[in-house]
Amino acid sequence: MDRGAAIEIRDVFKVFVARGDRHQRRAFLALRDVSLTIPSGRFVSFVGPSGCGKSTLLNMMAGLVRPTDGEVQYKGLSVDGINTDVGYITQDDNLLPWRTLQENVEVALEFRGVPADQRRERAARYIAMVGLSGFEHHYPHELSGGMRKRTALIRTLIYEPSVVLMDEPFGPLDAQTRVILQDELLRLWEGSGKTIVFVTHDLVEAIALSDEIALFSRAPGTIKRVYQVPLGRPRDVFHIHADPGFPEFYDRLWRDLKEEIVDVVLEAT
Amino acid sequence: MDALEMATGTFGAVEERGKRLLQRVESEERAQQRIEQRNTTLGRLAFGAAMLLAWELASGRLLDQFFVSKPSHIAAALWAMLIKEALLYHLRYTVTEALVGYAIGAGAGLVLGFALARSNFVYRIVEPFIVAFYGIPRIALAPLFILWFGIGITSKIAVAAVMVFFIVFINTIAGIRSAPVQFLQVARVMGASEWDLVRKVIFPAATPFIIAALQITVPQAMIGAIVGEFISSNRGVGHLISRAAGFLDTPGLFAGIFALLVVVLLMNQGITTLGNHLMRWNPKHGTVRDVP
Ligand SMILES: Nc1ncnc2c1ncn2[C@@H]1O[C@H](COP(=O)(O)OP(=O)(O)OP(=O)(O)O)[C@@H](O)[C@H]1O
Ligand SMILES: [Mg+2]
Repeated sequence: MDRGAAIEIRDVFKVFVARGDRHQRRAFLALRDVSLTIPSGRFVSFVGPSGCGKSTLLNMMAGLVRPTDGEVQYKGLSVDGINTDVGYITQDDNLLPWRTLQENVEVALEFRGVPADQRRERAARYIAMVGLSGFEHHYPHELSGGMRKRTALIRTLIYEPSVVLMDEPFGPLDAQTRVILQDELLRLWEGSGKTIVFVTHDLVEAIALSDEIALFSRAPGTIKRVYQVPLGRPRDVFHIHADPGFPEFYDRLWRDLKEEIVDVVLEAT
Repeated sequence: MDALEMATGTFGAVEERGKRLLQRVESEERAQQRIEQRNTTLGRLAFGAAMLLAWELASGRLLDQFFVSKPSHIAAALWAMLIKEALLYHLRYTVTEALVGYAIGAGAGLVLGFALARSNFVYRIVEPFIVAFYGIPRIALAPLFILWFGIGITSKIAVAAVMVFFIVFINTIAGIRSAPVQFLQVARVMGASEWDLVRKVIFPAATPFIIAALQITVPQAMIGAIVGEFISSNRGVGHLISRAAGFLDTPGLFAGIFALLVVVLLMNQGITTLGNHLMRWNPKHGTVRDVP
């Protein structure tokens, strides 16, 4: 498998302008000197305190936000404008309410000019893969939360982007559906050679899925540390706690993250 | 399937029962829909008939017939208008004015709305002006238009168009601004062109607003045409009505109003059908179930 860099983040700073006291415009630092290499074909997770800039960094990889300083490279080229080579799954599933499940799944292929019969055939294949056959003609409001997430997932995977950015994709789901979807994601991903960048607040999820985990410091975010997950593949997400490497690694990760969160809580009081 | 079902072979029976239930609910749902539709139609007819009957009976007894006329006289007046005064001829003028004005006003409102709302900068510049123009009682422009365009059909079309334009325009802008921003970003990453976004995301997001505006403005267009005719005209239903008023002919007056009512209802029905088709996805749009 190719082990070159899919994404290379070099000395990135991001300044946002927001309203401060008395509605004056006030600039603040959201990302501080972030450097990270995301190797091709790897599953990399971002964990870190809320507001530390994880989503902002994903937006930069997709070309929706520009770094104020530094550079984000995609496959060796500086990201300049929308990066249509990646797939982006946001926390909100934002399915189009006026399209049926199948039409939602096909939308990216429509944008990309794939002919109708091929679209239908590919959509049917992906819909079957995540067990949604029979619901093709349901509108989003007629689907359950888990079904909507599955739809959002295959809506992006269907055009086979070589890099997939996922921002807390399973955030609002119940614990069982979450594990089932994690398992489905791993099965879809394993052997595909795709690179996945995955943001989550759930350390168990990060460990169960990833090859590498990047831990962010609290805002202004920077990368505190990158871990290699000491678990083999294929993974059994249903019994990940039972994996011999799990408890020790989990403890270590949690201790390091706690420093970032607890300090914030102490400062606030 | 549990052990008992396996042993007694009732599993197949359960499957069978499930299937039968599905079929039953489906056919019940269809029957229910048919009944609802029929009852609605019957209810409407009954309600209309009751109103007319109450009017007929009250007129001359509780109310002065000179002022309120009565349905039987109005029907006779309608019939007379239809035959002697060529009601259809006048109606054709009024409907043409209203329809053409409506089409121009709605079309311009849509196109300009889309053009403006896509650029934040331009929108910010013109917004106060739009609000100011919107605040003018538009019907007050009718005399001005008659001055500009003469007493022919053009001035009435202009009045009708102005009545429609602002409402469609402002609603279109509001609708476009309701498009899901997050999805717009994701769609760009998916490779959507500007035209894709307008056609497949922005326009559908705006349809509830646009359809609402198109519905509200049907009678507005009619008002524009009629008021134009009131002010100065020698044809059209507005002309018939104002002439009937001049002769103190209340049945004739009401007959004209009824003729307009039918036209507005038909136009509205057309827009509603279009709206129902465009918004079949909208859970809020379908029948609101009676909460038990
Ligand atoms: N468009 C924007 N304008 C101004 N400030 C922004 C913008 N986007 C993000 N920010 C700010 O940048 C900081 C980082 O935001 P970001 O959404 O990247 O955090 P995050 O790590 O994804 O947090 P969470 O885990 O809660 O999703 C926050 O303080 C946020 O308020
Ligand atoms: Mg975020």
